[in-house]
Amino acid sequence: MFQPQSAYAFYSPTKVLSGNKALENLPVELDGMNAVKPLILTTPVLSARGMEKVMESAFGDSNLTIGVFAGVPSQPDLRLIRELYGLYRDNGYDAIIALGGGPVMDTAKALNVAVSGRPEDLESLADRNPLTKKLRPLAAILNLDLSGCEMTRYASLGSLSLTSPALIPDLMIIDSRTVPAEEHKTMAATALMSMTQAVEACLHPARNPLTDAYAYGAARFIMENITNVLKNPSERKGRLALANAAFFAQTSFDNLAPGMVYELGMAISRSCQTNPGLIMGLLLPHFLLLEMRKEIATRNDLYLFIGGPEAFAGTMAEASSRKAVDRIVEILLELQSLVVDFPRSIRDLGIKKEDLEGLIVQGSAAGVRGEYDPQDIRNILEKAWETRF
Amino acid sequence: MNILREIQPSSKPVKRAYVALMLWFVGRAIEAAARVDGAVKAEFDGLSPGFTFSLGVMPQGPMMIVGKDDQGLVRYLGWNPEGQKIDLKMKVKNLEGAILMFTFQESTALATARNRLIVDGEVPAACAIVRVLDIVEVYLLPKLIAKLAVKRYPDWSFGEKIWNRVRIYAGAVLGL
Amino acid sequence: MDLPGYYEYYCGVKIIAGHDALEKIPGLLQDLHASRPMIVTDKGVAGAGLVDIVLGAVKDQLTIGAVSDDVPPDSDLRVVNRLAALYREQGCDALIAVGGGSVMDTAKGINIVVSEDADDLMKFSGAGALKRPLKPLVAVPTTAGTGSEVTLVAVVKDHERHLKMAFVSYFLLPDVSILDSRMTLSLPAAITAATGMDAMTHAVEAYYGLSKNPLSDATALAAIRLISGNLVEVTRNPADREARLAMANAAALAGMAFSNSMVGMVHTLGHATGSVCGVPHGACMAILLPYGLEYNRHKREAVMGELLFPMGGSDVFARTPKEQRVDRVIAYIRQMNQDLHDASGGRHARFFKEVLDREGKRAVARERLPDIARTALGDGSIFYNPEDLDYDDFLMVLEAAWEGVALDPDRIRK
Repeated sequence: MFQPQSAYAFYSPTKVLSGNKALENLPVELDGMNAVKPLILTTPVLSARGMEKVMESAFGDSNLTIGVFAGVPSQPDLRLIRELYGLYRDNGYDAIIALGGGPVMDTAKALNVAVSGRPEDLESLADRNPLTKKLRPLAAILNLDLSGCEMTRYASLGSLSLTSPALIPDLMIIDSRTVPAEEHKTMAATALMSMTQAVEACLHPARNPLTDAYAYGAARFIMENITNVLKNPSERKGRLALANAAFFAQTSFDNLAPGMVYELGMAISRSCQTNPGLIMGLLLPHFLLLEMRKEIATRNDLYLFIGGPEAFAGTMAEASSRKAVDRIVEILLELQSLVVDFPRSIRDLGIKKEDLEGLIVQGSAAGVRGEYDPQDIRNILEKAWETRF
Repeated sequence: MNILREIQPSSKPVKRAYVALMLWFVGRAIEAAARVDGAVKAEFDGLSPGFTFSLGVMPQGPMMIVGKDDQGLVRYLGWNPEGQKIDLKMKVKNLEGAILMFTFQESTALATARNRLIVDGEVPAACAIVRVLDIVEVYLLPKLIAKLAVKRYPDWSFGEKIWNRVRIYAGAVLGL
Repeated sequence: MDLPGYYEYYCGVKIIAGHDALEKIPGLLQDLHASRPMIVTDKGVAGAGLVDIVLGAVKDQLTIGAVSDDVPPDSDLRVVNRLAALYREQGCDALIAVGGGSVMDTAKGINIVVSEDADDLMKFSGAGALKRPLKPLVAVPTTAGTGSEVTLVAVVKDHERHLKMAFVSYFLLPDVSILDSRMTLSLPAAITAATGMDAMTHAVEAYYGLSKNPLSDATALAAIRLISGNLVEVTRNPADREARLAMANAAALAGMAFSNSMVGMVHTLGHATGSVCGVPHGACMAILLPYGLEYNRHKREAVMGELLFPMGGSDVFARTPKEQRVDRVIAYIRQMNQDLHDASGGRHARFFKEVLDREGKRAVARERLPDIARTALGDGSIFYNPEDLDYDDFLMVLEAAWEGVALDPDRIRK
């Protein structure tokens, strides 16, 4: 556990505020970054669920004026950014608060690039020219409907994909009022995305003590809370733990190249419009069984992450990775019984057998780590297609 | 749909009033405790002549100010910092944090651990004031609540400090 | 893993680790839009040839604006101002701090002066006084212990006015910390041992302290694992590069843990002993750590028991029943001190009466213990300790730590 890698780099510039009355600390935190007039971005759905009121109350007694734009669509585009750019400039905002995951964060990151320089900087960044300016303050308020990239250097906007460490939010707030219970399927998908990111970080050849520490925290929180939260969504502490886990997992993921399950999950998601977290959950056990067969040297402490110190220490070394896989499969089976129409295989998602060939090509090409054997990918995809868990 | 709303969030007058009342009460209780409790007096004696501190809420109060006068006596100096030289400022970051403290959901130690307070001034003085606040809390609160508010409840016998408690209450409420 | 009702965590320092991490400095400075750094260090570091190693690693790709080894063992305002003037004269645009705590403090002080164009540093002390990023600062620690390469505090002393100015701001965090095994390879055994136990104390106190949180827990556990597996080994065999790098990692991890969850009574008493008797910080930490565990045990039994896993490893952890784990943890720390004592030829002190000053005389006279206890009452770290301590409690702990005997459980007031 936590063996030092001989060489690595690690960066996580986000300040975390998590728990009771975390939102009320926003004014002080913004002041520390020289910002006094934030623009809150959110979706019509979240606004209708009363999140705007929550924010208004959190800024109560602060003497600050806030702006709320509750019109972020599920597919934000450049036109929206230009519109928001105008609003931001004209009304004198000096910070952005993203209330919600996925498209809200993508919009916030893109808008932050635009308002910290010019809107044209977005195209320049998409062309892989590095950013030359420090961006304006950006705060993220996480919930349990996440894409997996909110707290990372990645953002996408239509066809533009943006990558820069400068995009990572300065602040992250997790507060039970803004982490409401979502639909079961959504919460399961978010947790499985985090789980995949954490497990792949733990098995990553470039893992280091810091990615280990974050992945460990993520895996522990998910394993301890996922089924409880689905059985009893009103359990606040469990929801907060899952939101924390998402941040930890994303941070370890952000400091390593994406893993195979992640890449394949994203590729499949694009072709069948299913939440990638669910797909990764279906691929993960097959990937782990394959890894076990390949006797990867670092595999032996996976069970520490999955089962915790007590269970890990009580297990014979040679049995421990098998136990880790068993435990993950157990959780997946539990999720299936708790979540209505949880897919049992990627075949259930409408993927045809002949689609697999295309995915194998995509998967081998996408492997940033560049070490995936197409045969391995075929193996995993075929198993995940044939086997119904 | 795509409209921008500008909001001027309102203030929270009831909560402000409650915290203001509690600060007023604690301020006067400190003044009284410095007269009747040896430990509180000793803490203030250890501070420099004219030492003044404030405990308040960001960004705009309420606040209480307590300081030593020319004779070294401890005085509650009101709520208005204007024109006062304050050596130690303890500021709760927001009103909700102050509510957590003054409804005893979070002890001073827990509020500190949770970074709810900003302390501006010399650290040894801050340590002394926190000890004073702890002692005053033990006087003012029923044992059941005070036990949550301090790390270690002192093993005072019932009779030993009851007279002090009466005098501190009288001082805080009636100004006696 | 426990999720507290509320927590905050931040460490925005980029960590670059490796046996040749120094070579990455030019690229990192370029990312920060700087090209003419000033190197700040002290005579000891420079004399050990460490600055030459840094220069050798960067000189082909970087113009060094200035090098100064003038930092005294105790940071000093005049030195800060003088070096800030040198920085300006030479048109520098970044700082590289090569050294331990005092060098880091000095570099942070210089950074405030040159970034804010300050004539009076005092104006920038206190919470919230700094509002914007300072000039790029690269930290290159040369001991594995203090963690100051990842902390946001700077202490600068004004020796003329007898003032100690403390600066606390996220903007004081270095932009980058370089953990390179070459920087600690020549560290003598006794300093390796003491600084390593400093890091151990950061991690252990962070783990049982009142501000513990999931991220400080995870970084603390990782640090303890690395220290337990490497410190005694590297003290015996100073040239072990892998163990050196592991310790550099551990110190940074422990620094992240404690700068977010703070430290407790071991530091309270350690700071006081350092300021009254001049005992090096690491030595105080090593001696006092078992007492922090003993004193707070009744409030933190379960949490402390968890430490046996990273310290003793899987087998020991699994074999030890829960109710015996804290005993084993405390015994483990004492045994580490004993092993380090042996590995350093007796120079690593196990208790206060064993600590010697430069002339080889006893550094902590027994009569000074009351002074130390009184000084401890004014140290802010006590806020984060699970149990309260008054003067009598401090003195009781100090007396036990002076003799080197365990605390009497009956004398710990609960």
